[in-house]
Amino acid sequence: MAGATIWKGDLHFGDTDVPVKLRAAVREERLQFHLLHRRDGARLRQQMICAYEKKPVPGEEQAKGFEVEEGKYLLVEPAELEQTAPESSRMIEVHEFVKSGEIDPLFFDRLYYLEPDLADIKGRGFIALAKALKELDVAGICTWAMRKRSYFGALQAHGKTLRLHTLRYADEVIPAESLGLQEAPFSEKELKIGIELIEKLTAPFEPGKFQNEHQEKLKEMIAKKARGEKISILPPRRLKPTEPDQLLQVLEASLKKAA
Amino acid sequence: MAVQGIWSGTISFSLVAIPVRLVKAIESGRVSFRLLHSKDYSPLARRMFCPEEETIVPAAEIIRGFEISPDRFILMTDEELESVSPERSRTIEIMEFVDREEMDPIYLDHPYYLVPATGGEKAYRLLVEAMRRTNRAGLAKFVLAEREYLVAVTSRNGVLVLTTLHYPEALLPEEGFSPQKGKIPLEEQNQIKKSIAQRTKDFDPGKYADKRREKLIDLLARKAKEKATVEAPAGAEEEGEGPADLVAALEESMRKLKEKP
Repeated sequence: MAGATIWKGDLHFGDTDVPVKLRAAVREERLQFHLLHRRDGARLRQQMICAYEKKPVPGEEQAKGFEVEEGKYLLVEPAELEQTAPESSRMIEVHEFVKSGEIDPLFFDRLYYLEPDLADIKGRGFIALAKALKELDVAGICTWAMRKRSYFGALQAHGKTLRLHTLRYADEVIPAESLGLQEAPFSEKELKIGIELIEKLTAPFEPGKFQNEHQEKLKEMIAKKARGEKISILPPRRLKPTEPDQLLQVLEASLKKAA
Repeated sequence: MAVQGIWSGTISFSLVAIPVRLVKAIESGRVSFRLLHSKDYSPLARRMFCPEEETIVPAAEIIRGFEISPDRFILMTDEELESVSPERSRTIEIMEFVDREEMDPIYLDHPYYLVPATGGEKAYRLLVEAMRRTNRAGLAKFVLAEREYLVAVTSRNGVLVLTTLHYPEALLPEEGFSPQKGKIPLEEQNQIKKSIAQRTKDFDPGKYADKRREKLIDLLARKAKEKATVEAPAGAEEEGEGPADLVAALEESMRKLKEKP
């Protein structure tokens, strides 16, 4: 079953306009838990707590501030923020194209499928665009406004279909350098065996073979508890970290095992 | 930037086990605003609150409940939840490696960083380098709170990235959205290709982030000239930490997304 239509608009670049509809591409089904208070079983609510008074603060007493320096804020009114919201439009503007492989996967956020809108006579523009993107192996980098938000995205062809991935903004990605990781030397021999081991353990990408077994087991456990049966507590498996001076031996043993 | 830990355990491939912590890779947001209390300008913190007792509830007093009928909950302790798949709750075991080129980005969900814990640095560095050179991703499953995640571990800028993946059944079928027929005159097709080729450049996401900030920065600059700042009362410190697990962190990031101006 196809996902719901979320938005309608025109893909636009140069002299080309392609009317499209955005469709949801992902539907996740999972068991929903609620957070309860252990003592009295009350269902907990998220609240905004005043850090000074340690009391919940109702919506009408909340304000937005931009921290200029520690503890000092510039107050911003909702109406002022409203002014910075993007004007609504019905256009996905394709600014430029990039080689598909150049997009760092960390940027990919939400996925939508595109469907040609009836306004596109026989879907000609859609077909031509999908074909061109595929043949050139490029993605269109675009921006649009939807539900009062500005989006940044990548338009890609997949077979005869078009996908639109929203992209995370560059300033949302925490730079790796900020983690402050230290160098730790290893030998050429260790690296060589590590690479060999990875190659031995490589298989084709077939995500279909991985089932979410956990979900079924969890349902069983809930049913068991509902019947009043006792649950046996199993300690989580914890692996003993490989000692740095044992790494070479462990890699060699792994390679032997994989052979 | 303070990096918040979400989970700690080990990542393993074959017999090698590396102690690691899972931390955020994405700070969903914008020019960051703080929510303040309009009466005293103290910053606000999001906390779980018990409506019965009217108290802030610390993490140790929170329990998960599954609603089997209206207002009837089956309570599940963390220990019980960890017992569902005990082999996966503290271990990210790479089951196999795959060529990164083969991985369709359609599966990608949310990325995190894995950072080495004390004693794991050497094996961590080795895995980062070996995965970089082979251009492989490691596939693993691990369980956090009530969910099992299929994840891909990759090497990026000297750090391991753990990306949760969508299970294939969560992806809706893609067929049926493209027009099945339709012949495009060759000239028209060449025209569109030419137009695309002319506009092909390098991927530079920074410039889009800058555009997005421009308006807000303009607004703030104007306000800074017109108005004085307000000050939070002394002692208005935030207690405790934010979300305790991946589910909460995910929900937090989704919520932040919705709150964007």
